[in-house]
Amino acid sequence: MDNLQIGRHISGQFNEDLERVINNVMHMGGLVEKQLTDALAAVNQADVALAKQVLSNDYQINAYEVSIDDECTRIIAKRQPAAGDLRLIMAVVKTIADLERIGDEAEKIAKVALESFSSQQQDLLVNLDNLGRRVLEFLQASLDAFTRMDCDTAIKIHQMDDKINREYEALMRQLMTYMMEDPRSIPQVMTVIWSARGLERIGDRCQNICEYIIYFVKGKVVRHTTAEDMKNL
Amino acid sequence: MISISPKTIATGSESLMTTPLDLTNLTPEQVALDINGLNLHYGNKQALNNISMAIPKGQVTAFIGPSGCGKSTLLRCINRMNDLVDNCHISGEINLHGNNIYGKHVDVAELRRKVGMVFQRPNPFPKSIYENVVYGLRIMGENNRRRLDEAVEKSLRSAALWNEVKDRLDESALGLSGGQQQRLVIARAIAIQPEVLLLDEPTSALDPISTLTIEELINDLKKQFTVVIVTHNMQQAARVSDQTAFMYMGDLIEYSDTNTLFTTPMKKKTEDYITGRYG
Repeated sequence: MDNLQIGRHISGQFNEDLERVINNVMHMGGLVEKQLTDALAAVNQADVALAKQVLSNDYQINAYEVSIDDECTRIIAKRQPAAGDLRLIMAVVKTIADLERIGDEAEKIAKVALESFSSQQQDLLVNLDNLGRRVLEFLQASLDAFTRMDCDTAIKIHQMDDKINREYEALMRQLMTYMMEDPRSIPQVMTVIWSARGLERIGDRCQNICEYIIYFVKGKVVRHTTAEDMKNL
Repeated sequence: MISISPKTIATGSESLMTTPLDLTNLTPEQVALDINGLNLHYGNKQALNNISMAIPKGQVTAFIGPSGCGKSTLLRCINRMNDLVDNCHISGEINLHGNNIYGKHVDVAELRRKVGMVFQRPNPFPKSIYENVVYGLRIMGENNRRRLDEAVEKSLRSAALWNEVKDRLDESALGLSGGQQQRLVIARAIAIQPEVLLLDEPTSALDPISTLTIEELINDLKKQFTVVIVTHNMQQAARVSDQTAFMYMGDLIEYSDTNTLFTTPMKKKTEDYITGRYG
């Protein structure tokens, strides 16, 4: 939290407000990470009970999003944050929107565990697990960078999304082959496709979080810029 | 995947944000005041350290900074109010249209006609509203009633006060509310058609609604005049100004367009001050 320097305001209350927001974002991030971990485990082990637990926990993430949003609105109205504080609030508001959507994706992935797959089709799910692990790593790294507001790490891990995209495309090709070979498997393969798509989207959202970190620290908007431009920051 | 270069984004957002002036590279036509190496001492104490900045024409420039940073002193230098202070020694230049106002043969009364000033507390004269507005014009020798009437209406309209006082121009100005008095003082300052209008914390003695009226007025005034404002209220500087200068202990720390200064200041001191970490 050193990079945040939120403890240095003359107004102690403002410090507390910002600290509370940041702590809540971290809790929310932890919850999202757990939801994704559980969803992937539920799919991998065909654990219906765990999947149901993921589905029933999603409301907590939504509640966090609403309450952090409220808190940020209140801070803007009452404290008129400027410069770094303003960028922090903007970064938080955007980050929690992405976290909430990651939570929704985790929920969708958990639903896969509720479907019945034949033992042959279980192979499909193994591929999903590989992609899932990589995405989970990216999520953990992004949240870690967010906690420390570590711009250098954010720039570095921003590239992880490229690998995820490549892995996603490879998986798509594989799944298409399955469908061509055995059209009866199409319903199950479609389910896997939707989940893979969800994982790929989570990668994009993690990338967004990295961009918000860079925005907060450097004050530069790096959305829609190339990797080359980012290196020149 | 379509890659969008930063250039495309900048072009795309032009409709949302006006391009700020490059303050280090203004053309002579764009500059209203060019301050160059200005130093000011009160006795042995140096209050301004080598201030250099160009204030653009037809825009609002705000000076912010903690108490005693020199922002009011700098403002007062622009129409030589500090001449009246004992022991005050000034070196350096302030150029109005390329002419140094601290040059030899400068008529200070003429300078103050071109550079009007409004103070923190409204200070109308104990005269009628009408006479307050025409005061400067009468001193300049204007006695034609029709021309004075025109000037009163025009100035009071510009100061957004006409509709409130048009039926009682002969009543005493002291009967107006604080916010109205401040707008009257602004009308008095603009009646003589100055080029630059200096506002020294013009709303610090006013209620929030009068403050907003004055702020709205400042925004209209910049169409005709160059406005320089000193304010303790940072949010006010953010709302009304096009450029903001942050001063600290007599130094000009950062001077840039207001949007940049309040979102991504370059200097840590500026960041600390505007985010309330100063002290």
